[in-house]
Amino acid sequence: MKNIAIILRRSPYGDINAAEAVRHAMGGVADDLSVALILVDSGVLLAKQGQDDTETGFTNLGEVLTDCMEMGVDVYSDKRSIREQNMDTADIPEGIKVVTGPEIADIIKSAKTTMIY
Amino acid sequence: MFVIVKSGPDTQDGKRGIKLARDMSADICLIQNAVYFAQKERLDGFCGKVYLLDKDATLRGIRDDELETGTKKIDYDGLVEIMADEDKIVGMF
Amino acid sequence: MSKTFTLLLGTSPYSYENTLTTVKIAESALNKGHTVNVIASGDGVYCFLKAQKAKGITNAEEKFSELIQKGLRVYL
Repeated sequence: MKNIAIILRRSPYGDINAAEAVRHAMGGVADDLSVALILVDSGVLLAKQGQDDTETGFTNLGEVLTDCMEMGVDVYSDKRSIREQNMDTADIPEGIKVVTGPEIADIIKSAKTTMIY
Repeated sequence: MFVIVKSGPDTQDGKRGIKLARDMSADICLIQNAVYFAQKERLDGFCGKVYLLDKDATLRGIRDDELETGTKKIDYDGLVEIMADEDKIVGMF
Repeated sequence: MSKTFTLLLGTSPYSYENTLTTVKIAESALNKGHTVNVIASGDGVYCFLKAQKAKGITNAEEKFSELIQKGLRVYL
């Protein structure tokens, strides 16, 4: 199976990058690709629990991230970035793998294609 | 003087807006990604009043217990009232 | 006292959160009886194209059309 890595470096909602990253991650698995979605820098904020889109006109991207995992996307979150973003590894939802820089490097090395958001 | 900051702590724009507000002893309103600045210890030594948009914080899953003491959540009506009352609005950064 | 709000919108409708911020501030200010101008600059002009089909995010055409009915003045 062909595999791709999608790297998200931006926090959700302020711009379209997080929404596009999860959209293409879902598109990838729907097209029988093996997809690794890697959250780094402020991209880890996509995994923050308790996002509430009530009356905002936005799609709840925290819920979409859960949908991604249910569809089979492998989601990784950079340990160091979690700390930098005032989050704790305990705040990261179940199913997301917390990984180090070298582990992320290995995932990217093994991916046939990389998309960066 | 009132400064509105929309860019997050991970950007030069956001940092610039906060620094300018600090240098001018201005009050600020944090909106969009800038709401992360309202988290504890991110605005150490900031003297002015700090407002943030309630909806922009809850959208991002920021809980009340994460917010720096003294920061005040407002809605768009609250922001518009402040904007109408202030002599000068700077932003948005 | 009624004041004039002039908002500069310089980004395209769906890449940033600025469209929503502009819509919400304009809506609240109009409801309070203020005069509101939006000046679209650069890619901001794309917020005012016809036949936008955006879903899951604030549809710029729809929201600005509503606000223009409420008295919003738009300058491209």
